[in-house]
Amino acid sequence: MIISLNWLKKYTTIEESPDQLSERIGARLVEIEQITDHSHVYDGVVVAKVVECRPIEGTDHLNVTKIDDGGVTEGVDRDEHGFVQVVCGAPNVRAGLAVAWLPPGATVPSTSNDTEPFVLTTKELRGVMSNGMLASAKELALFDDHSGILELDIDLHPGDSFARVYELDDQLFDIENKSLTHRPDTFGIIGFAREVAAIEGKAFHTPDWLRTTTPSYGEKQGDIVTPSVTIDEPELSARYQAVVLQDADGTRQSPVLIQTYLARVGLRPINAIVDVTNYLMMVSGQPLHAFDYDKVLAVGGGRTDIHVRRGRDGESLTLLDGRTITLVPEDIVIAVGETAIGLAGAMGGASTVIDGTTRNIIIESATFNLYSLRSTQMRHGIFSEAITRFTKGQPAALTAPVLGEAIHLMNEWAGAKRVSEVADAYPSVESPRPIMVSSETINHILGSDLSEEAIIVSLQNSEFNVEKKDDLLSVIAPYWRADIHIKEDIVEEVGRLNGFDTIVSRLPLRDYRAVNPDEFDRFRSQLRQTLLRTGANEVLTYSFVHGDVLRKATQEPTNSYRIINSISPDLQYYRQSLTPSLLNLIFPNSKQGFESFALYEMNKVHPKEHGLTDEHVPQEIDMLAFTIVSPQQPGAPYYQAKKYLDFIARTEGLTLVYKPIEEEPRFAVTAPFEYRRSAYVSDAHSGVFIGIVGEYKKTVARGFKLPEYSSGFEIDPRGLLEATQKRAALYTPLSKYPSTERDICFQVDHSVLYDQIIEGVRQSLENVELEVIISPVDIYQPDNGATKNITIRMRLTANDRTLTSEAVNQIVTRVADHLHETIGSRVI
Amino acid sequence: MQNIEDVRKDYVEQIEASETPRELLKAPTLKQLYGVIGTLPPEERGAYGKAINQLKLSLEAAVVTREAALENATIVPIDVTAPWDLNASPIDLLPTEQGTQHPLTRELEVVIDIFTRMGFEAIESRQIDDDYHMFGALNFPENHPARDGYDTFRTEEGYIPPAHTSTMQHRILKEGIEKLEAGGQIAAVSYGRVFRNEDVDATHEHTFYQYEGVFVSKTASLADMLGTLRAFFEAYYGQNLHTKTQPAYFPFVEPGLEFAIEKPAALNGKPGEWLEMLGCGMIHPNVLQAAGIDSNTYRGFAWGGGIERLVMLKYGIEDLRHFESGKLAFLRKFV
Repeated sequence: MIISLNWLKKYTTIEESPDQLSERIGARLVEIEQITDHSHVYDGVVVAKVVECRPIEGTDHLNVTKIDDGGVTEGVDRDEHGFVQVVCGAPNVRAGLAVAWLPPGATVPSTSNDTEPFVLTTKELRGVMSNGMLASAKELALFDDHSGILELDIDLHPGDSFARVYELDDQLFDIENKSLTHRPDTFGIIGFAREVAAIEGKAFHTPDWLRTTTPSYGEKQGDIVTPSVTIDEPELSARYQAVVLQDADGTRQSPVLIQTYLARVGLRPINAIVDVTNYLMMVSGQPLHAFDYDKVLAVGGGRTDIHVRRGRDGESLTLLDGRTITLVPEDIVIAVGETAIGLAGAMGGASTVIDGTTRNIIIESATFNLYSLRSTQMRHGIFSEAITRFTKGQPAALTAPVLGEAIHLMNEWAGAKRVSEVADAYPSVESPRPIMVSSETINHILGSDLSEEAIIVSLQNSEFNVEKKDDLLSVIAPYWRADIHIKEDIVEEVGRLNGFDTIVSRLPLRDYRAVNPDEFDRFRSQLRQTLLRTGANEVLTYSFVHGDVLRKATQEPTNSYRIINSISPDLQYYRQSLTPSLLNLIFPNSKQGFESFALYEMNKVHPKEHGLTDEHVPQEIDMLAFTIVSPQQPGAPYYQAKKYLDFIARTEGLTLVYKPIEEEPRFAVTAPFEYRRSAYVSDAHSGVFIGIVGEYKKTVARGFKLPEYSSGFEIDPRGLLEATQKRAALYTPLSKYPSTERDICFQVDHSVLYDQIIEGVRQSLENVELEVIISPVDIYQPDNGATKNITIRMRLTANDRTLTSEAVNQIVTRVADHLHETIGSRVI
Repeated sequence: MQNIEDVRKDYVEQIEASETPRELLKAPTLKQLYGVIGTLPPEERGAYGKAINQLKLSLEAAVVTREAALENATIVPIDVTAPWDLNASPIDLLPTEQGTQHPLTRELEVVIDIFTRMGFEAIESRQIDDDYHMFGALNFPENHPARDGYDTFRTEEGYIPPAHTSTMQHRILKEGIEKLEAGGQIAAVSYGRVFRNEDVDATHEHTFYQYEGVFVSKTASLADMLGTLRAFFEAYYGQNLHTKTQPAYFPFVEPGLEFAIEKPAALNGKPGEWLEMLGCGMIHPNVLQAAGIDSNTYRGFAWGGGIERLVMLKYGIEDLRHFESGKLAFLRKFV
């Protein structure tokens, strides 16, 4: 929203500089995003009178004019009367006009922000000297009308500064509307001025016409049947007023000063009738609508029975912008008889539009259900100044004074006379309720130290009615403050008007106890440190994926919550696991020249298969996914991912068990993995299930363009945490005696698993009171492929003696025998 | 038509036995079948065309199935319990100096750490929620215009990817009632991912991180809130700071403010340069009531700010899109 400083000054005195004012408004009302300085845009632009105008021979549209600038412009050629010659091509140029003249040396205002602003000169046009130009509204950067030069008010003096007479040496404040969503009053310049006065500590006086809620509506000068107005359902509209005016002149323009004010805040002047409605909307925040009365009669078959009702399914309405929309019951329409003639609060209908032929009008002043209007706005994409204001919730009491002023201005600017009574449908009149609050409470909530006097004055400055009742203040908000309902609203008002920044900040008083970091947070932080040590890079990827990513990962889209209103196709589905998002990153990074890298992410996933929580919202599952790629290396890539998982486990004091997967599993998280080259992982000690590690399916690898050597895992970090909470004691006292190491090589059948050997060794030593540490040394397969040789190293320590070589030999034999019996191995 | 069915059966059989099933799709007999269309009377062409298309689809499906089967047959199971592969050597990890933590999780840890030390519990925010927690419980009625500012995504079922971490506020308040009744306070931060349905560019993301604080006691005041926020930023930047506020409208607070700090020396700030850091306010009585807290007895304040902003200021990051890009070139700068 644009606020003109000069417009504000019509209602309150402002002495501060624009920057100071902007800072104060920022601290106490709303952020000003930008100030546009218009004070020099019209430098040198002069009001002039066209005294003579004749066509230039041989041209179809050029005229040569003599203009009177009162002699104020220096350095131009003048004739014997002191007039200046200017060539003009506008169709409306004629002797007797008052115009805006841009003399040589002046900059065309519409180009003032260009990199090379256009500066006027004296030059020859068709052999005729021309000094500068007579300007159109467009060239004056007022509004988009280039059909002719701007015709100024005729009673101006030649030589007047154009900027001064039209108050165009202005500053325009661009307001961040969002913070005023609850303040319909500030969407009118008077309301905004009231706030400015109050935050400057000055009393404000709302103009009488707006202050009253029972205006006179002026004298009735005719006798037309008053329209009947019916609000079909009270929740659609709190109030609807309508009145008929006769002899409005649709060809008249509003005063140029008013046109320039409308233009500078972004509204294009149309004609006096439309301009009255727009002007009053900008001044008061109350939108008005004017219907062509005769067209309404025609639509209504000679009657003006107006209904505010819901749209009907399948009903259509052509709007005044030419669009035909299909209505739904959530829309509110204005109908005459059975026929919709306007989309309430949003846009009038084409069938009753004001145009040059309009003589008689109906003015509507009303409020509508803001929630309905908001849904209408979204459904039909209407973002007008009017609906912006209506959706802030204008109070019903406001319609009357603004209608009263509209009748007055329609008469003044367009010559219209009121010829009917004012129809007023106002189902439930609300009287203001006092809010009782003590100055003590206000100070408690704010943590401030304001005197009761200061509190009362600040509220009175913005026209609240405040009375002392014992220890309490009885506060009545003025009718335009539809946002004030509870004592906290008064607290806000007092804090804001006195400046929140004047409150001395402090820490809350509380009984403090040390808070422990959340255990899972702490654990995740630890995992990140561990993974950092492994050379992996943490990534964060979007929680939503394209359907293609799911399909490439062989996950079922039906297992994902689907986003229905995304503006990007990449955000279609909630993800079911993290691995697909990681796989999606491998190819782009490889293309950038990275060959060996590991990526991981810890985040939440939301597969539908996990159902809902007790709160009836989808379950969220924390996961940790990891993937590693590198140029081809000997051996299966599976072991690379496993190595990382073992490393993580070891830093947590855990030993993991890897189990072959017997048949293809059907879970979202396992979908990308090739089950025959993957394993289920659980904690050896507690048995807690951790996740899956493995290589990816060939189709998955193809889909994501993965290098040959890639593998990964996806695990449940909460499971891992649970396992650490259940783990066995890490520490056993150190032995005083030396340890002995012995390597043993077992030849086993190809089908024997490495773990079977380790397990066998452990079993055979179950009753031996020794500390045994087993580590792999070599895994060799001879060319025959039928057997393999697995070498392990046993580190043996006794805590009560030095192990003799004889004792060690006995142990080795025991192990060898046991394994021979259980898995048929042979020590070689 | 019978002819086509026979062709189908015949080809499916061949495909199921073939080592190069895709080659069969190029067989001349098939091409001839397609060529027949032109020779048929017009009234038969439609049905014949349909049947031919069906045939094409079912043969293509058979090829895909066969290809997958062939591919499957080449997959050799491995000993998943072994530490490394047959005849291979022990496996190395990547070089440690290549490892990095994501700058956003790193900064979140810093922020949470400060608030924890200030006596606030930390709770991670949900990534999918319902309308009630996102809006309803926070004093945003249905169709409230203030909802517009949040540009929320929605799922088919009507769930919402939360547009603010305040989606946890109602839960934190409900959970805290016991503490209040025992004479204590509610002091918690929620943090996590939030989502807005926005076009992405250097300064806009549809996915970003927020941290949100909630404090409720019998005596909480706006002065307490300003002090708490100042204390946080002073701890975060390690220096004394000037702060200022600006009125703002959020339906779940009254009064509502935007909170700014004077740009700290650590960021080469000069006096008079301000950084808007977060939105805050006194919790609206309706929000307390919705959680079953008596708003006549208890008052509270809440705030919410963005993590990306802190990180971008700290490192001078120019483009918001880098964070979720997964680009190693970006990630490896945060050593």
